[in-house]
Amino acid sequence: MALRTEEFVVNMGPHHPSTHGVCRLVLTLDGERVKKVEPVIGYLHRSIEKICENRTYPQCIPMFDRIEYVTSMSCNQVFAMAAERLAEIEVPERAEYLRVIMLELNRIASHLLFYGVTAMDIGAYTPFLYGLRERELIIDLFEMTCGQRLTYNYIRIGGVSHDIPPEFVPKCREAMRIIGQKMADYEGLLNENPIWLARTKDIGILRAEDAIAWGVSGPVLRASGVKHDLRKDDPYSIYDRFDFEIPVQKNGDTFDRYIQRLDEIRESIKIVNQALNGLEGVEDDKIKAKVSPNFKPPAGEAYARIENSRGELGTYLISDGTKKPLRVKTRGGSYNQLQALPLMCHDVLVADLVAIFATLDVIMPEVDR
Amino acid sequence: MTRDELKDAISNKFKDRVTHLEAGKYDPLFEVKADDLVDICQQLKDDPELSFDYLANLGGVDTTEHFEVVYNLASVHKKLRVDLKVILPYDQAEIDSVIEIWPAANWYEREMWELYGINVRNHPNLSRFLLPDDWDQGFPMRKDWDAPDFIRMPER
Amino acid sequence: MNGFSEFLELHPLFSWLYELLKSTGLQDPWLRVTHYSILGSMMFGVLSLIALFLVWWERKIAAHIQQRFGPMRHGWHGWYQTIMDAIKLLQKEDVKIALRDKPVFFWAPIVCFVAAFCVYVVMPFGEGLIVADLNIGILYVLAITTWTVISLLMAGWGSNNKYALLGGMRSAAQIVSYEVPMAVSILTPILFVGSLSMNDIVLSQTGPIYNWFVFRLPFGPIAFLTFIIAGTAEANRTPFDIPEAEQELVSGYNVEYSGMKFAMFFLAEFVNMFTIAAVAVTVFFGGWNGFQFLPSWLWFLGKTLLIVLLLMLFRWTYPRLRVDQLMMFAWKFLVPVTFVNLIIAGLFKHLGWYW
Repeated sequence: MALRTEEFVVNMGPHHPSTHGVCRLVLTLDGERVKKVEPVIGYLHRSIEKICENRTYPQCIPMFDRIEYVTSMSCNQVFAMAAERLAEIEVPERAEYLRVIMLELNRIASHLLFYGVTAMDIGAYTPFLYGLRERELIIDLFEMTCGQRLTYNYIRIGGVSHDIPPEFVPKCREAMRIIGQKMADYEGLLNENPIWLARTKDIGILRAEDAIAWGVSGPVLRASGVKHDLRKDDPYSIYDRFDFEIPVQKNGDTFDRYIQRLDEIRESIKIVNQALNGLEGVEDDKIKAKVSPNFKPPAGEAYARIENSRGELGTYLISDGTKKPLRVKTRGGSYNQLQALPLMCHDVLVADLVAIFATLDVIMPEVDR
Repeated sequence: MTRDELKDAISNKFKDRVTHLEAGKYDPLFEVKADDLVDICQQLKDDPELSFDYLANLGGVDTTEHFEVVYNLASVHKKLRVDLKVILPYDQAEIDSVIEIWPAANWYEREMWELYGINVRNHPNLSRFLLPDDWDQGFPMRKDWDAPDFIRMPER
Repeated sequence: MNGFSEFLELHPLFSWLYELLKSTGLQDPWLRVTHYSILGSMMFGVLSLIALFLVWWERKIAAHIQQRFGPMRHGWHGWYQTIMDAIKLLQKEDVKIALRDKPVFFWAPIVCFVAAFCVYVVMPFGEGLIVADLNIGILYVLAITTWTVISLLMAGWGSNNKYALLGGMRSAAQIVSYEVPMAVSILTPILFVGSLSMNDIVLSQTGPIYNWFVFRLPFGPIAFLTFIIAGTAEANRTPFDIPEAEQELVSGYNVEYSGMKFAMFFLAEFVNMFTIAAVAVTVFFGGWNGFQFLPSWLWFLGKTLLIVLLLMLFRWTYPRLRVDQLMMFAWKFLVPVTFVNLIIAGLFKHLGWYW
């Protein structure tokens, strides 16, 4: 009898340790080689967009927390920004500073989580705890400010919900100093580790033109060498007041996507420190513009987008002049990145697929909404 | 290029094939005919001055009078943003796919097809997506969609 | 001082036991069978305790590397946590999936467990503390450790699960490949001993500390390094833990096992790790040889635990290799290095440049 081989299909997920939630990847395998990947989504679809159409504008913000729970602040921000653009509300300066501080802290927390989870997916257990340890400092700061550790509901239409307590600023500076120091630990553990390099270099290359065509954004796009960051290219809030760099990598492989996030943590620390300095210069205590609970923006439509830790987070908000939005359409970075996953997984091994998936930093609630 | 310049540039380029809508509060918003859509999108992408090479968002809208499809386009290198809108009557809810221009449209169009029932021509894979495979309760994002456990917020 | 360590030596116990059995009037085939059964059970008991201790120790080491405490609730620093875990696993339902291959699924954990413990028949735990001093000792160790691969393949096949099957296939490929460099690196010291008996290997390293094979330059340290790398792979430990790579294959070959069957795989893994360390100590670190102030079995245990600590540090520091990189490393790097090392050692032996 002649020997023959056969391709076989494996359902990776919806419950699988490395699909970060409930994503299902239908893999066609030839031995260990991945011949075809097909992401199947929808296991976490809660129809937040539909629910928002049935809520008043202020009530939508807690729903947006759940769109992407790792960086809820940015989801709050994007909806608040869309509503402010519709109603042309001026946000007080102090609130803008607080928003920037929170957004950047949230970005750092998200990237620290990414660091841990990616290392874990490639088999190194210890960095996971290291990443979460420093993330805890930031989560404590959020808890101090708004009482929540995961879904903050902090950034509201027209401002923020609470002012920071007096001990926030010194603690925040301390946390930034600690994280800045620990960056050396993170890099020391993995950056020059030969096993890590063998696992990540030249794996899952995403070329710049493919990335743009497939709508990939954020750190993944910048790791492919496209210098595109909404904080610089389309400055929202008060990002034009800060001095920071946009790190870019060259190859767009797994290693670049990993190192890109570490570089971004550094820049975010810079922004937070500048914003804390700027906050001291603001004399007005006002943190929220007057917005009635029965907030009715004039009819119109606006697309607000911000750069969160997974890329462009956008909300297309259509108002018909009533107290409920007519349409809320959200796009998250993860959606396009998951869509582009098959591009990167051409003839890779299962282990590489896991590494690639991890460095895309896909978070399923943002995909399914 | 500022938003006003962009508005003028697009208006001049396409003349009366596009209509500028005042409803767009932030980025310029244009209405496009459904038959004209693919051609205009292709030209927007190919124009060296504009080069809208990035589809940021695509979504259907149900206004209770007609369907709308909104395209949020971006140019990564020129740092421009523009929104396009196509109005579709209920009885002709059908639109051409823009996958050929921006592959990113794939999942967005699939989602729109599934949740609004707007048919997308030339789409390679229109199949169940966010909803369960055995879903038979219609198109949930339409405004007239109803289900026993779906309670609308009262108009106070 | 010497008297004290003499007093703590355990080998008089072995001869005392033999005399005791003899005094009951047992004749030779039965005398030997009984003697070995008792010794084997003792070894089994001791090893089970060691495995339980290793589970706890690994958790503590992992926790402290990761700047947390690990188990803290049961006793001082959670010292009987693993015992409670074992009791919990014993009580758990033995989930049997419907489409399993019944006999294969049933026997896989038992084969794995038995194979892990069988090695210790020839392991010299201390001066005279050896169940049976076989003249093919080290060959026996190599043969028995390879059993594990059969059990993992059985588990992978019997589970009727694609992840488990992939895990089983991976482990087969991995263990068979790393068997070669492991055997060849052990051959290097054997060349100088001239005997395969574990006792002879230890005895040839008595005397000053530079008599340990790891200090016999230049081939000793290289042989040790290649052995410990291959051994890590044999024990399926990170960075070579691809058969059970949690993030890729969920849990690999043992994904469908629950309750005590899972515990058997789990304990066998720790016993295997201890085996690798024990063989390394026996062959390279002078076995139970040490300084006078402590009994020989304590020296053996201490050295073995140090090597185990090394293996644990590997696990909690390194990421995991990919399957093709793993095979490449075995065949394109380790095998040539060990063979060249063996040839050099042979050359030195021939020229008499050794001590």
